[in-house]
Amino acid sequence: MTPTTDETRGVRAITWARRKQATAGVWREFARDRGGLIGLGGLVLIVLLALLAPVLTDETALEVTNTTAQPRQPPSAQAWLGTDRDGISVLLLVWWGARVSLLIGFSAALLSVFIGTAVGILAAHFGGWLSTTLMRFTDFFLVLPTLVLAIALSAVLPRGIGTIVLAIGVASWPTTARLARAQTLTIEARPYIERAKALGAGHRHVIGKHVLPAVLPLVFAHTTLVVANSIIAESTLSFLGVGDPSRPSWGGILQAAFNSGAVSQGAWWYLLPPGIGIVIVVLCFTLCGRALETVLNPRLRGQR
Amino acid sequence: MRRRRGRGAKGALAALSLVTGLVVVSAAPAAQAQEEVTLKVALTQEIDHLNPFLAIFQSSTGVGRVAYDYLTRYSAKDQEPVPGLATDWKTSKDGLTWTFTIRDNAKWSDGKPLTAEDIAYTYNLIRHNETAATANGSFVESFDKVTAPDKNTLVIKTRTPQATILALDIPIVPKHVWSKLSKVDDPKMDEPPLVSSGPFTITDYQPRQYVRLKANKNYWGGAPKIDRLDFVHYDNEDAAVSALESGEVDLVNRLAPAQYDALQDNDDVTLNKAQGRRFNELLMNPGAATKDGEAIGDGHPALRAVRVRQAIAKAINPQVLVDRVMSGYAELGSSVIPPVFEDYHWKPSAQQRWKFDKRKANQELDAAGYQRGADGVRRMPGNGRPLEFRLLGHKGRTFDEQSARYIVEWLGEVGIKVTQEMVEENQVDEKGTAGEYDLAFSGWGVNPDPDYILGLHRCAARPNAQGQGGTTDSFFCDQQYDRLYARQLAEKDESKRQEIVKKMQQRLYEQAPMVVLDYDNALEAYRSDKFEAFTVQPQPTGVIMEQNGNWGYYQAQPAAGGGEGGLPAGGWVAIGAVVVVAAAGGGLALRKRGKSVEDRE
Repeated sequence: MTPTTDETRGVRAITWARRKQATAGVWREFARDRGGLIGLGGLVLIVLLALLAPVLTDETALEVTNTTAQPRQPPSAQAWLGTDRDGISVLLLVWWGARVSLLIGFSAALLSVFIGTAVGILAAHFGGWLSTTLMRFTDFFLVLPTLVLAIALSAVLPRGIGTIVLAIGVASWPTTARLARAQTLTIEARPYIERAKALGAGHRHVIGKHVLPAVLPLVFAHTTLVVANSIIAESTLSFLGVGDPSRPSWGGILQAAFNSGAVSQGAWWYLLPPGIGIVIVVLCFTLCGRALETVLNPRLRGQR
Repeated sequence: MRRRRGRGAKGALAALSLVTGLVVVSAAPAAQAQEEVTLKVALTQEIDHLNPFLAIFQSSTGVGRVAYDYLTRYSAKDQEPVPGLATDWKTSKDGLTWTFTIRDNAKWSDGKPLTAEDIAYTYNLIRHNETAATANGSFVESFDKVTAPDKNTLVIKTRTPQATILALDIPIVPKHVWSKLSKVDDPKMDEPPLVSSGPFTITDYQPRQYVRLKANKNYWGGAPKIDRLDFVHYDNEDAAVSALESGEVDLVNRLAPAQYDALQDNDDVTLNKAQGRRFNELLMNPGAATKDGEAIGDGHPALRAVRVRQAIAKAINPQVLVDRVMSGYAELGSSVIPPVFEDYHWKPSAQQRWKFDKRKANQELDAAGYQRGADGVRRMPGNGRPLEFRLLGHKGRTFDEQSARYIVEWLGEVGIKVTQEMVEENQVDEKGTAGEYDLAFSGWGVNPDPDYILGLHRCAARPNAQGQGGTTDSFFCDQQYDRLYARQLAEKDESKRQEIVKKMQQRLYEQAPMVVLDYDNALEAYRSDKFEAFTVQPQPTGVIMEQNGNWGYYQAQPAAGGGEGGLPAGGWVAIGAVVVVAAAGGGLALRKRGKSVEDRE
């Protein structure tokens, strides 16, 4: 709608330049945190490996009817991390399991952050009875035990990745909502919002142009932490047997190991790799998230 | 490598605990001599009821088998009926009247004598009280009249000849206790002490913890050689296994292959690989319907065709499940009666057996008009419905979860798409009874008498519209099969009955409402440093726990000179000295042993 005059083009260029500068600043600040860098490096590596799994490995080796290796064998030259209860290489399982765990982790976190941000911003922006209703609704979900809710949901819905994502997403959004609401309240108390309103800005403009850009960085930092939690939640659910049985995920591998007596057998090669996988990924996300949070929230910076 | 190191640590720990034990023992030497011998048995299944009319779980009926007496027993040798409370029996010419002589040396645990009157009371209670019929109602269905003319005689009249009359798995309860109750499911009857007449008496029960029994020294068959029998609850099999390794319990069953293999190196533990009486099967919904033939459930219509079911039977390879899922601790399946009951077991000949042949299965489906669509999934002729089946199974049950992946892949190769549906146990039952499945994993434990398991496949065994009034396994309904069933039930000549029973199994196999995948071995382990070899049933390949009887527990014997026996204090000191020396040289010995293991590998 806006006429593309030279003036607006100039304004845009300035905005972009400013954004570029801000991003560079954030990166510089982030790069100063060694833990954050390590976390980011680890994440990039893991995500790349997970994405490239179909290229680097043979998916048919995951098919039980194609496997000839003996089940539950300790590490050897053929299977570097031993074999599982069906004779499939544990290394391969963990590798492919990373895809499922990461996919569910990201999707569930996105869903949870989307719901949480929407609820939080709306509640803070509109206030009044809408705020009260939304926040009581949030409180209700906040006190519900996440795991129990997720188990109940995935028991009722048909089993599959979508269900797990939904279960985790629906169960874990309240903290994001609280965070988004608090941030929105502080933003909206600032004079430039009042100025915008005086100039005739409607709800959409205020939320879209001013509140959202100011809330998003913090939400983004929070998201990285939510992903870590979602991966743990996914592993827990799969370990409890409500995951998708047709694909390997880290929790599912652990469950299979426990069910087939790996503990009595002392089959460490079957139990440790998925567990270590979970620890490493969650650690990477947490390192990244904390570093980002410190960068974006100046109040945390002094404490270092 | 790792396992060996683990064992070293465990060995050192055991030595340490022995030394500690020595200190305690020498502090109280006098008490040693009369120490009671307790057999501790691990249970991983919960107890549903101690009340024998309500107890259904294997764990609970197992406790019932040691606490209560039965009219007849199954011999430990070959599971033939042998005298129990009845010492002798005869039947009338028409096979409808049975007269039992009841022993007069049987006593209740409160001292009162057990008479034929108690037995008649028990059977009549089940016949006339619906609650009392919960667990064992099927046994008395054809009973017409049960009377006790005197205290040593029991007369049973049946409406139709019943081949199963010597196989009544009904615990006998005391009339003088139960007749005073207002209802059969009185909670008092789940709380010890309970009056019973078996070789052991229940004295103590804590749900999800233990059931404790005391030997009945006045048992008519002679007092047990142990003083106490404890059933200890464990949440999972791994916990039970480590309890066995540390000596907390003496007997464990239902081991997974990996656990069984892991225990093989333990010198104090002896393993028992028994021919089990359970089978695992893959059900194929042949068109679920009620007793009256009204269709229920949402089974895939393609499975109503025998040709499709037969093609599926050819597309799966149960031998691979035996070898890989069960690690060889199972036998290849054929029909519903396991080979442990050799008289009734039917084995298909090489020509009769479905051969695993993907090409042939594909050809047959092609010929029957099930053409593949663009996505590789076959379509039904006519309505074009794709052959997409759900596979129902128990969540957390290793066999179901592992086998499901094989089934999915095998059927995928013949153009049938299968989605796994692993749900909670009660959901499996619900969906199974309602006919809401296409393919489903199931399994049954089979009694020595084949009547019950064969009866599950009759038209009349199907439930009514409310889902009650019958227990069907497969929703199978076949006139020819039903006629054979009626014939075997009335057949008095044993060898002729066996012939009919085998024919029925063949019919089931050919019509394929299910594929019996395997007969699991029962994997058990016990502390042979504390107990002598247990009596198994049947001999020599049978089980210790989960018998059709109580031979394993009743005839349990402490090991000669074992740790539980009363050793004099001097003996302990000697052992202590040995232990100290052993602990000192332990590292060396263990390392040596490790090497020899390595050599063998």
